[in-house]
Amino acid sequence: MTPIKTIAVGFDGSMNSQAAVTWASHLASALGAHLKVVHAVGLLEHAGQSRHTAARSEDGRALALAAGLLSSQVEWLAVDGDPLSALLRMTEAPHSVDLLVVGSRGAGQHSGTLLGSTSLELVEHSGVAVAVIPQGGPRDDSELGAPSRSE
Amino acid sequence: MLIVAGPVGAHSHDGGQNHPEQQGRIFSVMDGVRDLDLDDEIRYLTAHPAPLEDLSRVHATKYLNELESFCRQGGGNLDPDTFALSDSWDAACRAAGAGLEAIAELERLGDGVAFVPVRPPGHHAGAERGMGFCLLNNVAVSAAALTARGQRVLIVDWDVHHGNGTQAIFWDDPDVLYISTHQWPLFPGTGRADEIGGPNAIGLTVNIPLPPGTTGDIVRMALEVVAQPTIDQFNPDWVLVSCGFDGHRDDPLGELALSSGDFAQLAQLASSFAPRSGRLVLFLEGGYSATALRSSVATTLGALLEVPVEQEATTFGGPGSEAIEAARRGRVQAMDALRMKSHLAGGQG
Ligand SMILES: [Zn+2]
Repeated sequence: MTPIKTIAVGFDGSMNSQAAVTWASHLASALGAHLKVVHAVGLLEHAGQSRHTAARSEDGRALALAAGLLSSQVEWLAVDGDPLSALLRMTEAPHSVDLLVVGSRGAGQHSGTLLGSTSLELVEHSGVAVAVIPQGGPRDDSELGAPSRSE
Repeated sequence: MLIVAGPVGAHSHDGGQNHPEQQGRIFSVMDGVRDLDLDDEIRYLTAHPAPLEDLSRVHATKYLNELESFCRQGGGNLDPDTFALSDSWDAACRAAGAGLEAIAELERLGDGVAFVPVRPPGHHAGAERGMGFCLLNNVAVSAAALTARGQRVLIVDWDVHHGNGTQAIFWDDPDVLYISTHQWPLFPGTGRADEIGGPNAIGLTVNIPLPPGTTGDIVRMALEVVAQPTIDQFNPDWVLVSCGFDGHRDDPLGELALSSGDFAQLAQLASSFAPRSGRLVLFLEGGYSATALRSSVATTLGALLEVPVEQEATTFGGPGSEAIEAARRGRVQAMDALRMKSHLAGGQG
């Protein structure tokens, strides 16, 4: 298995994506990996007409730092595009991340159908491993890579 | 003679007044058509849904089935930008079918210009998914129908956004030349100059990314300097235009600085790429300012039909001349790299 050195996590400001950033941060911290917090800037957001919670870089970084990552391990990326393409682009050079992390359902999205679900489409199209974090985060989230816990 | 195939989307696919891609766009566009006072010189065609056979040339059957059932079940958002509602499948199929009607009518007449005022727009829709307000790729469905009959098709896309869906669909198709001028950086984040096409269509994708504030003189120069040599070599049978008006300086979704007069000049340039009269079809893509849409539609069509229309002066002096040279250089380098790669591969084999 390739070592996980770089992780990209999708962040759109929603509760679900906050859980994903927290989970990815714990994992990055445990692995000593670099974390890219990726926010896709769509047509509406570019025009200041987004109908969903705005994702702010401070919020994304704050979640990562609160989960124990060093500032130097976290990078904020606002990428032009839809969420799926923006995340898939992270698997290509120059980013070439080893793992994609995404909430099960983004802002204003549907669940259960392939259409309208970034997470399901990502699993179908990604060439690297994808972790899908359920609403509210995984049940044993607190244990994952918690710095105080010795293995 | 002006052929108008449609309109589609004036009374369907309603995402509400707060969404910029709204029904009112079609009313503005049709006001622009009426401003031409064409009387007998205009023919309206009813847009029927594109047959499955035509949609399937461009889109994966799985996506078509999913989109149809998604809509039939009431629909929702495909992504933060894009909605599909219960009647959107029907609207999208008719939007995709309108171009086919336009082409058939032009062939019957052997003359004229066709305009396809439809929504949802199409150029962001790829083979397997909709995005960026687009569900089915209208211009691609028409282009693929033409290439299936052995025709060579030039697609000129002057929407402010890169037509990532169209590019991807024809990436490796030697019968389609795709040319896009677009603002950079901007959604959808594709359309770099070094994206030049697949191994069977090297150089047949031409991307000219331009900075915010670019004026009409630069967009024209970009097409003449970077694209014209490839167009001359390609020698198209048909010219289809992804005719977005969101490059207008008043548009809320982009930051280019074009006027309605600039669109008139771009239209004339696109027309000059066609082998003869009756081979030019313009597909509405973006454009989100009601007044800019109306005036730009009138001047664009007016220029093609040689009907005098009141228009804003053409614009010049903006940034972007470096971008043209960068685009030219980026293409040359990408082509050299590809040739070198295939040469090396050949040498080993
Ligand atoms: Zn556009």
